[in-house]
Amino acid sequence: MDDWHYKPAGDLGLPAAEAFKSLKRESGLIATSLHWLWWSFVRTYLWAWHRLKVEGREHLPTKPPFVLVANHSSHLDALVLAAPLDWRLRDQIFPIAAGDVFFTNPAISAFAALMLNALPMWRKSCGPHALKELKQRLIEEPCCYILFPEGARSRTGEMLPFKAGLGMMLAGTAVPVVPCYLEGCFEALRPETKWPKRHPIRIRFGPPLTFASVTNRREGWEQVATDLQAAVKALAPRTV
Amino acid sequence: MTASASDRLFGYSHAFDHPVTIWVTVGSIAALAIAPLVIVLLSRSGRVAPDRLGRWWLRWRTWLFLTPLILGPILLGAAWTILGVGLLSLFCYREYARATGLFREKAITLTVVLGIVLVTFAVFDNWYRLFVALTPLTISFILTVAIFADRPQGYIQRTALAVLGFVLLGSGLGHLGYLANDANYRPLVLLVLVANEMNDVFAYLAGHLFGHRAICPATHPRKTVAGALGGLLLTTLLVVLLGRLVFRDSPLASPLHLVTLGIIISVVGQLGDLMFWSIKRDLHIEDFDTTIPGHGGLLDRFDSLVPIASAVFHYVNYYVGGIGTDQPARIWTTFG
Repeated sequence: MDDWHYKPAGDLGLPAAEAFKSLKRESGLIATSLHWLWWSFVRTYLWAWHRLKVEGREHLPTKPPFVLVANHSSHLDALVLAAPLDWRLRDQIFPIAAGDVFFTNPAISAFAALMLNALPMWRKSCGPHALKELKQRLIEEPCCYILFPEGARSRTGEMLPFKAGLGMMLAGTAVPVVPCYLEGCFEALRPETKWPKRHPIRIRFGPPLTFASVTNRREGWEQVATDLQAAVKALAPRTV
Repeated sequence: MTASASDRLFGYSHAFDHPVTIWVTVGSIAALAIAPLVIVLLSRSGRVAPDRLGRWWLRWRTWLFLTPLILGPILLGAAWTILGVGLLSLFCYREYARATGLFREKAITLTVVLGIVLVTFAVFDNWYRLFVALTPLTISFILTVAIFADRPQGYIQRTALAVLGFVLLGSGLGHLGYLANDANYRPLVLLVLVANEMNDVFAYLAGHLFGHRAICPATHPRKTVAGALGGLLLTTLLVVLLGRLVFRDSPLASPLHLVTLGIIISVVGQLGDLMFWSIKRDLHIEDFDTTIPGHGGLLDRFDSLVPIASAVFHYVNYYVGGIGTDQPARIWTTFG
């Protein structure tokens, strides 16, 4: 509990189109209301249409900061991961989304920012400065990220290797990272299809991992990626 | 709703009944038409730096949009004027909350927003008692709502910031909307807006030509004593000229009242400007936002109007025997 400190909005002074893309974007009253409306709709939809089942909910931290990492094979993935989280954290949960998919068209960009509360990751030009900025916000604010370390949706449903960039954000920090496995999202909405099919979806949360003792160098980043990939894989059903 | 209330709220056919409304509308259009010629002439003279010329062009382009946005609701009817002022209050509060960080306190911010919405409704209803009561009531609600966050550390700062925001931008600007409950509201509101804008222009020109000594150098080094005096003199003259027609046949038509009103608008307006500059300096920001190209945020454009609205309202209200008292009260909340 601190005294009041003047702290203008991180995106103060940016035009709306730029603010949507900013990693410093913060939610006001309108954005918060839209998040609540959107996530209430998503929760209802996932339970009604996909019979969403959640396992390992006890592994979810109650307070930020924390990071959720999962396998990625469908546009439904971020929605499924965020749906079971506490509604009081809505403004603090940021799915990290592909900038070139979600933040190039103004309408989609507004949707990603105002509804999903997503932050962009520019896959072709993501430098260390962007990861550093994300890391700083994760710890200082603090907040929660939803990350897909494969870097792209799997086209076959099989997990792709995790990228080491994730390690740059997490190595040397005590932030809990919750491994998650998403089952059924690929069948419900494949990358080549437009509309979701009625298919059951299941999500498994595993025990959180921390990487405070891992060195913040390439070998440390690779270790983070390897450990998390193993943890996510361990949550997959035996047949996968 | 009576015919007179309906006429005032939605009767655009009376838009140009008063000569001041015609003059201000024609004058605004003429100013927008002449401004580019003046800028081109100054540009050719080579006496103005290119970056300053660039700023003037940007401001002119912005005024092309701002002028109809301001004039339109006033000409269309009191309902649109009140709605416009209500929206201005909400957007100004948004900028203030984002600049101070108060927007992160969602419950407090929601209370202030609801307070502004209710103030706008009280104005729309011509319900003066509710309008007056909403200031202390909203303040009490802000202080109450903040308790439930259960964070006593910083309680005074959080609530004081919210109270300041509501009093200035909800209650303060609400007085501008309440002027629209006067039967003769169009020339009255236009007088306030034109005098406020011209006060800025006169102070800028006088300061540019004669200004040396800044009033508060740490707050705003370009606000000079000469600029303030030039603004005071010319704005008072403008208010006397327009006010004679606006307040014809009322106690305020006397030269003493008109001069006093001119002094109030100029002095309070310039102090309002410095007040918001003090807030910006305290927050270490240059502008409240970038909503209006060339001006900054809405608060950067309308800062001086905030204290002027309540000062003019109470001066006029006192001497004419109550604004809106000759109009039906509680238009929407009287049943049966």
